Order: sequence, then C-alpha cells, then structure tokens
Amino acid sequence: MPNKPAPQKLTAEELRNKLKLAHLKTKDAFVENYPHAHKFLQEKGLELGKVREHSAKILGAGALTGTLLLTPPGNIRALPAPHEIVEKVREGARALGENAPQKILVDELSSHLPEKPRPLSREEEKFLERIFNDVVGIPAKGTLEGEHLNTTYGYIGAEQHLLRYPGDTLNEHGEGHILTPGIAPGKGAWGYFAPSRGELTPELEETEKWYAVVQTLYLPDWEERLRYLREWYKYRKVLIVNTDNGNAVVAAIADAGPAAWTGKHFGGSPEVMYYLGGPRYKKGPVILFFVDDPENKIPLGPVDYNDISLPEGSLHQI
Amino acid sequence: MSKIWYDHLIILEEIGEEIDSATETHEEKHEMWRLVDEIVHHKVMHTTLKHLPREHHEDFLGKFHEAPHNEGLVEYLNEKIGTNIEDLIRQEIGDLAFELLEKIKGTRQEE
Repeated sequence: MPNKPAPQKLTAEELRNKLKLAHLKTKDAFVENYPHAHKFLQEKGLELGKVREHSAKILGAGALTGTLLLTPPGNIRALPAPHEIVEKVREGARALGENAPQKILVDELSSHLPEKPRPLSREEEKFLERIFNDVVGIPAKGTLEGEHLNTTYGYIGAEQHLLRYPGDTLNEHGEGHILTPGIAPGKGAWGYFAPSRGELTPELEETEKWYAVVQTLYLPDWEERLRYLREWYKYRKVLIVNTDNGNAVVAAIADAGPAAWTGKHFGGSPEVMYYLGGPRYKKGPVILFFVDDPENKIPLGPVDYNDISLPEGSLHQI
Repeated sequence: MSKIWYDHLIILEEIGEEIDSATETHEEKHEMWRLVDEIVHHKVMHTTLKHLPREHHEDFLGKFHEAPHNEGLVEYLNEKIGTNIEDLIRQEIGDLAFELLEKIKGTRQEE
C-alpha cells in the first residue's frame, strides 16, 4: 500500500476563509429562522456577535455599584473573618507541624470558595487578599491600581514555551519533561523578550520560564485604553494559587489568552504548570491575583509558605 | 469582566489548536478567536430559541439583554423548555466542533 502523504499545514489565510464562511452561514441561518429575535436584539442595540463586549460593560458597571448577579443566592457562602484562619494556621503549625499552612489553606479555600470557578465578589477578593498576604506571605490583590481582570477565579491551562529571541529553539529551554509541551510557533502578545540571544538577560529568562497568560483581549476597555493597558500588563507579576492543593507560584504575564471558548481563563508556562500540579497537570482551578510589588523585590517562581512566620499584626480584621 | 451564561458549556480545544498551529501573529490568532466566538453566540442562541416555546422568546431575549452573564438563565430555560438546556447546548457545540474540524481537515485533503 502506498504511504499516505502527511497532512499539509493549513495557512492562516485558508483557515480565516473557512471560519469566515462558517461565520456567515451561522449568522444567516439565525437571522433567517428567527427574524423576530434578530429584530428584538437590534432594537435594543445588541449585536449578538458582540455580546461579550455588551456583557463586559454591564458587569463593569455592576462591579462598581455592587449589583452583580452572578449566581443564584444559594451559592453565596458566609466568609469567616480572615484572622480566624490565620489563627487556625498558627495553631495547626504547632499541632501538625510541616505543611500545616498549605493544608489549612486548601481546606479553607474549599470551604469558602464557590464549587465552580466564577468571577468573585469584591468581598470574596478582599478576604482572599488578606489570607494570601498573611498565610502565603505575598501581597496580592484582585484589583491593583484600578485594574482588574475579567475573573480572578478560573481554570488555568497548559501553554507551550515562548520564543524569547529570533532563532530561539525548544532545546534551549531546559531538558527532560519540561520540554514535552513544545514551543509556540508564533511570538507571545508582547513579541520577543529580547532582540537577540546576547541581549537575553537572566531576568528575562526567568520571565519566560515563569510566565502566565491572561485574557486581556476580553477586557471591556482594552481597545479604548490599548496603549496604557499593554504597558501595564506587560510582565505584570501575578500570584497563582492552585485551589486543589494550595501550591502557589509568582508568575509574569507574557501572553494574551486563552480564547473564551476553551473552557479556560488563564494559561501557565510548562514550569508554572509543573509546579502547580505536576508533570501531567493540564488544567485546573486557580486563583490569580496581581502582586503588589512596586519595588520589584518579590522573585518569580514557586512560593513555599509552609515555614513562614505568621505576622502578629495579622490578627485583626479587615 | 466578560462572561456569558453558557461559557462553561463551550469547550472547543481542538479548534484552538488548529488556530494556534496556522497563525503566526497575535493579531491573526485573535481575529480567528473572535470569529469562532461569534459563531458560538449565534449557534447557542439558535439552539435556545429552537427549543424554547415561541411565546417566551421576547421575555428570554429581554432577560438575556439585561444580564447575559446571569447563570440563573439556565434554570429559567429548563423550566420553560421542560428539559436540560445545558445538555442541548453541549450537543450542538459538539456538532459544531465536528463540522468546523471537518471543514478544516477537508482543506488539507484537497491540497
């Protein structure tokens, strides 16, 4: 039997044309079958294809006035005062010894977070900020300098290595299992990390190693404030906490995504994902907050908080 | 924020992989992500209205327009339709993924 020829790679132009045709067909079928619905939405000024932008505007306004209705009331859980958890960790550290803070953090997160990831309320975020600061030892915030992501509690997915400079290759990103995810064919949202290999500083090397991906493209004001936001988000440090096991890592934002229809809200480099969940970890629920580090003192990489001393000052309420 | 009540039902990972592999620039990738996103919105609305009795269409569309993020719409639809809307959407999106992938792969075979 003759060998089957290997499938050729589709060009961007071919794929775009296919998707545009499918887009037209789907849209036409909707308008044809449900003209009354199309007219209704048109009269309301809502273009169905742009409903994500419409939702962003409504949610943005609701977040300011505190009138969000994200889940039925039955899913809202009462939050304890953060100092109670800090005290629990302190007692646990005495009684259980090693790994007590992490274990207690996981128990508390599972008791007080919604079962399924969803955008958190401001109160829930404030609660977590205090816990992360006092138990994990990282000053992290849901809103920093007025900026907030679409969601701070969602699913993270595995990403590939990023090209750091022209001519970069996978083999230069480490060895063994960490190379398994491969390297992305295109550059990240902020381009190469350095113009050449010689200009790749150890700091930039660490940035690619511990990079995170967030959905900047779906921010309600991304287009309007593009220039400012691009700079603000570039290599912005974030704290990522795996809510299933408490593993935490500080990462730098270096790409935009994933697409809204992947069931994921964030992405992590191979190193980030390995630390959060091990070699087979591809997707899981996490909290992702901005790190408040104006003096750039907090290093990228894993956060080991099992042996930190809990601050005395932490024993008061927010 | 940006969230639609059916986001958790839409998982098209293979399409994402095809886009990743075909595109070189970030702009190209985002343009195609948006096209797929718009296809999904039309497909889900089509499916919803197909199963929802006609007399509830305007009421549902009004609620959707006011709060497209509201997951309470699932319960509203389940009650009016009398069956699980999430299952119907999952099925429809599964078919959509199959169709899109077939088209993409068809292009390759033609070459």
